[in-house]
Formats: sequence, C-alpha cells, structure tokens
Amino acid sequence: MTDAALAPDRPTMLPRLYAGAAIVVLWELVVRGFAPSYVATPFGIAMALPRVLADATFLKATAITLGAVAEGLVIALAIGTVLGLLIGRSLVADRALRHYVNACYAVPMIVVLPLVSLWFGYTGAARLATIVFAASFSIAVNVADGARAVPRDYLEVAHSFRSSEGRALFEIVLPASMPYFLAGLRLAAGRALIAAVVAEFFTAIPGLGYFILYNSRVFRHNDAFVAVLLLGGFGVGFDALVNYATRRYLPWYRRADGDN
Amino acid sequence: MTITGIAGEAEAGHISVRGLTKRYGDLTVFSKIDLTVRAREIVALVGPSGCGKTTLLRCIDGLLPADGEISIDGKRVTEPPEGVAVVFQHFGLFPWKTVYDNVAYGLRMAGVDAAEIARRVPNFIGLVGLTGFEKAYPYQMSGGMQQRCGLARALAIEPSVLLMDEPFAAVDAQTREILQFELLRIWERRPTTMVFVTHSIEEAVLMGDRVVVLQGRPSHIDQDIDIDLPRPRSRETLSDPRFAELRERVWANLMNEARRAEFQLGA
Repeated sequence: MTDAALAPDRPTMLPRLYAGAAIVVLWELVVRGFAPSYVATPFGIAMALPRVLADATFLKATAITLGAVAEGLVIALAIGTVLGLLIGRSLVADRALRHYVNACYAVPMIVVLPLVSLWFGYTGAARLATIVFAASFSIAVNVADGARAVPRDYLEVAHSFRSSEGRALFEIVLPASMPYFLAGLRLAAGRALIAAVVAEFFTAIPGLGYFILYNSRVFRHNDAFVAVLLLGGFGVGFDALVNYATRRYLPWYRRADGDN
Repeated sequence: MTITGIAGEAEAGHISVRGLTKRYGDLTVFSKIDLTVRAREIVALVGPSGCGKTTLLRCIDGLLPADGEISIDGKRVTEPPEGVAVVFQHFGLFPWKTVYDNVAYGLRMAGVDAAEIARRVPNFIGLVGLTGFEKAYPYQMSGGMQQRCGLARALAIEPSVLLMDEPFAAVDAQTREILQFELLRIWERRPTTMVFVTHSIEEAVLMGDRVVVLQGRPSHIDQDIDIDLPRPRSRETLSDPRFAELRERVWANLMNEARRAEFQLGA
C-alpha cells in the first residue's frame, strides 16, 4: 500500500518530464542565440560538471557550507523547540515572548548580517549566527502552534496517570506536535541554506556561496551553476529525507487523522 | 478506614463522596451528591444527557475540582490518586505509541522498573485478547481493539478503583456486547471497585451491583437501585426475567425526565 500511495502516478510524471525537457531546451537555445558566451547553459553545465566535482576547492567549499548548515540546524532545533514548547504551553511565556519570536521570524535574516559580522568578524562564526537566527524561529513558531494544538484528551490521560507536567511536555506535547515540528524543520532547512550562502556572499568567507560569487565574477558561470544545482539538490534532498524519516519512523502520522 | 499493607490490600477501593457540588459559573451541574462505593463493588451511573455523570467521574479521579469531599480509602482526593485508573470513552490512546507502549504508559508514570514492566505488559495485553498486536499502532486497529488496549492500560497499574467513562459508547453494538462480557470475565478474575458511567440502561443493569440514577436540574441522586442478579453474569443474565424487571424499573425512573427533556422548548 505504501509504495503505490507514495510513488507519483505515471500520468502525473509524464507532463513533469516533458516540461523539464522543454525548459532545458529553451534555456539552451535562448542563451546560445541571444546571450554572451560565458552565460551558463545546460550543455555547458553538463560539460563543467565532472571537472568541478573533482575540484578540491569545490569539495572543500561544499563540506564547509553544508557542515555549517548542519551545525546551525542542530542549534536552531534546540533553541526553536524549547522556545516553541514554552510559548505553546505556558501562558506567561506566550505573553512575554510570542510577539518577539514572531517579529524575529518575520524579519528578513539578511538584516542581521551587518550586525553579526561586526560582532563575530568576517568569520565562520558570523555565518553560523546568521544560520541559527534564520532557522530557529521557524521551528519555534511551528512548535508553538503544535504545542497549542495538542488534544486535551491526551493531556487528561497523562494527568490521570499521574504524569508530572514536565514529563507530559516531553512525552505527550512534543510527540503530538511532531507534524508541526517537521513542517518547521523543513522551512528551517531552506532558510538555513539561504542564510549560509548570503552570509558567504556578504563576508566573502570560503564556502559554496563564495564559490558561486567568485566564479560568477571570473565569468565561469557554468562552474558557478554546478554549485547552484548542488544547493538546490540539497534542499530537495533534505525534504525527501524528512519525508522518508516521517514514513519510516512516524508511521502513525498522516494516517492517524484519516482513520479514526 | 483502611491501613495500607496486606490488610489494606484486601479492602482497598472504598470510595466516599460527601456533599459534592459542581458549578461552572452560574450553572450548577449537580449538587449535594452523597455516594458510597464499597471495595470491589460495581456502581453503574446512569442519567439523561448532560446530567453530569461524566463530570462526577472526573471529580472522583481528581481531574476536576468540586465543592464537597471525595475520599478513596480515607484519603482525600485532590489530584488523580494512586491506584485509580480511568477508561475513557475516547480511548485516549497515544497515536505515536504502539499497543505495547500504550499499555506500558501508566506503569512508567508510576515509576515501575523496566524489568517489571516487561513482565507485566504482555500479561495484560493477553488478558484483553490483544496478543500478537503488541507492535500495532492505534490507527491500524478497530474501535473495539483500541478500547481493549485502553482497558489493558488501565488494568496494568493493577488499580483498586476502575473508573469507566462510557467506555463502550464509541464502538458498534456487537463489539459493545462482546466487550461487556469480556469486562465481566476480567472482573471475576480480579474484582476491583468500579464506577461505570453509561447511558445504556441494559449495560448498567448487566454490569452493576447497584444502579445509581442521576437526574434533575441541577442533578442529584434520584434512585439507588440494588441489582440482585447473581454473579458471574453472562449472556444468560440477559434472558433472566429478573433482568427485564430491573431494566424496566430503571427505565421507568428515567423515562419521565427523559420525556420532559425531549419535549422541552428552549428557554
């Protein structure tokens, strides 16, 4: 049942493939016909791909950026979960913090860059701080929504079995908020990636963002585009990973509502 | 009043409710309820919708505050007491936990050690007939199976008082009958005090040693009827002429008010 339900149907796959092919062909033709020779084309990117993927600078940049994103996400996860649970379950915390968290969530993360680069210098720490700032609040906002939406029935059961408030928070509220948490995590991953690249653009520290910036400036657009594709692939891949983990480890989620 | 220990164990599960009144703002749900339930007795609570049966049950478990006094084995109830377990109408299973983990939940909250949990949980899963479904999630099971799991979770803490909140109201009629007799069978093996809220008169008479009728506005205990049907009770009980007689008696008590409620125009 799972495979059939999860694999997209053939009829919906075909238009997607045709559209993709059409975009690639159109891109190739338009650039060849009207743009300067250094502009990236699908063919040029394909040709650059083996060389770039074997390039030590590129590999190092990839490791640095994705490493920073992973590290930032772990920190954001901790901050966002704690903040979210607090706001969602404590009236005092909600009143005190909710608007500030919402404000931080709404503020474009780029605006903090000049500030963090002053505090941390033009270093990896500035990038990490930007990632954490960008990612934490989307998790906090979602977890808070989830924690608020926990069915009272569950909490009544916990209370009846003499659970302490603290245990109920981690054993009932947190798992019950899991769907919201995952939604927040997916948003956070996208924002973390943007934050990492923008921080590298701004502070010119090594990483994929800087790789793109540098290669664009020296007119190696095909090379730069390999990094763009990699970042896009990372975003899609992370989404797929979260989806897979959800099906594998949270089988009750998505089905719990429909069947009961 | 009992003392804990071996002597206390035998007599545990004595519920005493004195002058209990529950108000929500201006609305008084019930007032001056006096109810005594002896150890190992089953008291069925019936009454028209909205009479406060479920509210009373929640007060007895310490889930809701009320004016008056409730004590279990001489200890005043201010929060959910030890040795009291509830079976909920909505099952109250955690969807992210398997049958095994749901049944283990109460034991874990009671601080029972892991080895003891591993020993006890399969017994109770077996007792309710769910052996083989340990790893199933609630969404994979029928309502009847889910409530079996809810029952196992409550029984696993080996409570002296079992509070049943319309436990079979959310399952279909056949499953309901099956579960009623299963519960009677389980009770025979290990009798506990039980307060059984239901809106089914048949169920009340079948299960109860006494049927307590709650009615009026605010509601009060209108009737306290002894059900002198022999135990163990089974399907044969249903065809006992005495069963029909008692059912009619409870029904006659409830009917007048039910009629009034049905034909009442909105105030």
